[in-house]
Amino acid sequence: MSKYDVPKKFDYKNINLLKQFITETGKIIPARVTGISASNQRKVTRYIKIARFLALIPYTDMHK
Amino acid sequence: MKKYEAVIILNPNLSSKVDTFLKDFEKLLGESSFNIIKVEDIGRRQLSYSINNHNKGHYLIFNIEGDSIKLIDIENKIKYNESIIRHLFIAVKEHSGEDSQLLIDSKNKSSESDDDKGKFAKEKVNTEKIKEPVKEEIEEKSVQADEGDKKDE
Repeated sequence: MSKYDVPKKFDYKNINLLKQFITETGKIIPARVTGISASNQRKVTRYIKIARFLALIPYTDMHK
Repeated sequence: MKKYEAVIILNPNLSSKVDTFLKDFEKLLGESSFNIIKVEDIGRRQLSYSINNHNKGHYLIFNIEGDSIKLIDIENKIKYNESIIRHLFIAVKEHSGEDSQLLIDSKNKSSESDDDKGKFAKEKVNTEKIKEPVKEEIEEKSVQADEGDKKDE
């Protein structure tokens, strides 16, 4: 059972969606916890990393 | 010809000069025979972390198509432009053609900055809207999320 509404298309611009998959400290939540399919997890991971680069979501909560 | 999405974060102090930057950039793209399909001016946004001591950035998103070899030239020119604090070119299979979630959010924020409750409600509506147009998108092979779920059960 997945507790996330996973769309078919992920996007690095959809911050609200990606924020569901990071912890408060900014880490990516592992697949064994999210429970989404492996390929979806890979997409989420990829787009989180892009969004981090564009300063849309933080790498960590320790930023100055 | 390949399709690209370009995200450019401008120096927030030059926010007022966005129009001139847009003209210059479009000219630069035109010289390299790039087609501009769509330009999204998202405006100033809070950065999640400071880049070059800037806490805000002016986001621009371009949907463009052109040759990959010429993209390198464009990137080389952009590199030394000090008004750009960050840029990214991503190859996409298909342009979505719709407004990005960032643009929708920024519009919502500007229309109702102080009413928190209304904003919350609108955000919910937005997430529902995204799910509908999904069918046309072919950026990635459609994945059946259901399969994974069934196995878990």
